[in-house]
Amino acid sequence: MSDHFPMSAVSDVAEPGLPEPGGDAGEAALEVHGLCKTFGATRALLPLDLRVGRGEVHALVGENGSGKSTFIKLLSGYHKPDAGEVLVGGRELALGSATASHAAGCRFVHQDLGLIASETVLDNLYAGNGYPTAFGTVNGRVARRLAAEDLARAGVDLDPRRVVGTLSPAEQTGVAIARALRRSDGGGPQLLVLDEPTARLPDREVGVLLALVRSVTKAGVAVIYVSHRIDEVLEVAESVSVLRDGRKVASRPVSGLDHSGLVALLAGDGVEEVDVSTHVPPPPDAPVLLTVDNVTAGRLREVSFEVRQREVVGIAGITGSGRETILSAVFGGLPRDAGEVTVAGRPVKGGRPDDGVAAGLAYLPPERRNAVVSGQTARENLVLAALRVHWRWPLLRRRDERAEARRWFGRLNVRPATGIEQPLSSFSGGNQQKILFGKWLRLDPKVLLLDEPTQGVDIATKAALHKEILAAAEAGACAVVSSSDAGELIAVCHRILVMRDGRIAVTLIGKDRTMANLTRASLGTGAASNGTASNGTAGPGTASDGTAA
Amino acid sequence: MSRLGLDRFSALYLGAAFIIMFGIWTPRLFLTMSTVDTVASSQAIGAMLGIAVIVPLATGVFDLSIGAVVNLTAVIAAVLMTQHNWNMWGAIAVAVAAGIIIGVVNGFIVVKLKVSAFIATLGTATIIGAVQTIVANQTQPLQASSTLWQNLTQYEVGGFQVIVFYLLAIALFFWWLLDHTPMGRQLYAVGGNPEAARLSGINVAKWTWVSLIISATLSGVAGVLYCSLSGPSLTFGSALLLPAYAAAFLGSTQLKPGRFNIWGTIIAVYVLAIGIQGLQYVTGVQWLGDMFNGIALVVAVAFAALSPGLKSRRKRAAEAAGGAAPQKTPEPVAG
Repeated sequence: MSDHFPMSAVSDVAEPGLPEPGGDAGEAALEVHGLCKTFGATRALLPLDLRVGRGEVHALVGENGSGKSTFIKLLSGYHKPDAGEVLVGGRELALGSATASHAAGCRFVHQDLGLIASETVLDNLYAGNGYPTAFGTVNGRVARRLAAEDLARAGVDLDPRRVVGTLSPAEQTGVAIARALRRSDGGGPQLLVLDEPTARLPDREVGVLLALVRSVTKAGVAVIYVSHRIDEVLEVAESVSVLRDGRKVASRPVSGLDHSGLVALLAGDGVEEVDVSTHVPPPPDAPVLLTVDNVTAGRLREVSFEVRQREVVGIAGITGSGRETILSAVFGGLPRDAGEVTVAGRPVKGGRPDDGVAAGLAYLPPERRNAVVSGQTARENLVLAALRVHWRWPLLRRRDERAEARRWFGRLNVRPATGIEQPLSSFSGGNQQKILFGKWLRLDPKVLLLDEPTQGVDIATKAALHKEILAAAEAGACAVVSSSDAGELIAVCHRILVMRDGRIAVTLIGKDRTMANLTRASLGTGAASNGTASNGTAGPGTASDGTAA
Repeated sequence: MSRLGLDRFSALYLGAAFIIMFGIWTPRLFLTMSTVDTVASSQAIGAMLGIAVIVPLATGVFDLSIGAVVNLTAVIAAVLMTQHNWNMWGAIAVAVAAGIIIGVVNGFIVVKLKVSAFIATLGTATIIGAVQTIVANQTQPLQASSTLWQNLTQYEVGGFQVIVFYLLAIALFFWWLLDHTPMGRQLYAVGGNPEAARLSGINVAKWTWVSLIISATLSGVAGVLYCSLSGPSLTFGSALLLPAYAAAFLGSTQLKPGRFNIWGTIIAVYVLAIGIQGLQYVTGVQWLGDMFNGIALVVAVAFAALSPGLKSRRKRAAEAAGGAAPQKTPEPVAG
């Protein structure tokens, strides 16, 4: 554990068993003693001790399947633990009851915010339970005043009459937080659990959210902050606990940690992060595989670019810049209003994913729920995009399918390795993403279009997927990666196209691919050496300003 | 529990329990070859319609017009033969063609006009009812009297009416189509997640359309066979709609839980029929069919909520089914 690190009042726990006496740093908002849970033969959470002080931001990090979600579900009363004790604000919490958890002051904001996009902020705040009423009628004036108070308490500056769908992702998260903390809702909130609040936020809005988190703690509420993003953990949290394989491997103040230190704790034996600049760059005379010519669709305005064989091209940009729609428009998921897309000289019809696949395009959507066929097994999902190879009149050869699924499970190191006949939706997020990678890689596509390919997956899986992207390119394909994670783009892309207002504003090549340049180019403030600076063949080591992850 | 397959094979156990129970209770009535034949052939049409609804259900859409199609094609076949002196094959061809056309129209409304299948087929079902009245000229048509026409379904083969073998052939074909061809896999993918299927390069619109054509065509065939078996009826089809869905949903809890499947549905049809037949022998009351089928539908859909597999698909279906429940007086096990 963390014996060789200095103990701190807020970070490490006392010996299991006795509750903390009053607290050396004031009363604890949350104390956990020996909490554990097994599912069948799986030990999801080994006895866990944790202490979070009032007004403290305590980060909880760990790979997929490390026990974070189990812990949260135990806190929220969704699961009942096998043993253990939880004190909230010094009072013992009856475990296994969502009502008790709520009454004790535990609040949860999940990755899926559960907001109704078509309704106003006000309605989202109160629709669930309790508009202020007068004689059974909603009292609009009081409701607006209360809403303003609730929003202010969460540090959100918004007109409650705005429709949620028109808000930025960070503002929407703010509304969800305000809803979780509203005073009209039972007793005072003691503890706010944020489950990957930034997973779907573009880089620019992360700062807004972190500010929000800080303002919440000013009200004395403790925050458990769950995230895969190392840098923001280091920025916002005072202390951090690392879970691995259901076990807490460390719990300490953030002040003594840096990026690589935390990564080392997370992954155990260390993960080899990918760095494209250490790979051989594609030859400049490689044939062009993908041509996008004057495409207008959704927010895109006359976008043109080319991708050569063996090249990995990144797409960056803030939300609304067109980054989110460009790959879908190229693939045919989103109909084109104008423009041409050709794959190795073959034109691709707009709005026709089937034609895109036939031409050699592969598209990984940004949201997994648009990629996973629920009710079908991992095998069925894996082979879905090309069933014909296993069809020999008069039957689909299931044995061949299984053999192929096993091969891909082995190559991509999917866990559980024996799960090919289990529903894909039962796998962890990272493993689902690996299987979805396999689904497209098995087609040997000419062009891989990857939208947020590693969103919400752990560091080890992320590195593995990055390796697959580069391997596919080096095997003769090419890839376009659209991502809100700048570090990811720098790590895997030879060239990064930065989008602004539906157009490609800047292209960053070679050692110009830095965090600072990306941010500047995305926001359009200050000229970030417009156009092509150095010619793609810049030496290694250009992408490692310590921010790449 | 899983070793014995009490979950996946619960209907088979239930069927066995029915047979033993009624076998002991009324052995002279129940344990006879004629009961077997009666149940087998009287339920063949219902089972075909169960298969007909499975295809669109697997694709994630409802077809509520199947009952109306049965009525219409039965009446068309009868009217052409008795009032226009057509020969049997010509009448059958026209009747089945009517079914195909209805399927094409349903598909057009759903795919091109983007009306939800539930509403679209509810609407076309009503329109078909009107067309049927026009075709029948507001009178109950007479049954065609040719032996060939009656032998089409009533010819005895090995102690069973030949319609039972038609059902077997249809079931085998659709089992092959849904479970062992790329098309079947794609239909299920569309039903499981239309957006994921579309982004995998599957032509969702095409398969939705095809599945509605299949259900209407198969219902058309079932209507013709029904007419040959029992004569044309103005109401029989709508009485079959609910039992068909009850069987499909109950069947989706069997064999491959969470997936609409052919053999589970056939088992469900016959287990329900055995239970109803046995109870009717014992009590002689007429309301058992309605009671049984209604309870079966509700229980089967409720089970769906407990099985995680196809939760979303069946939840959608269950919500929609809530609006479909009230139908005209069904009379599903008329001997």
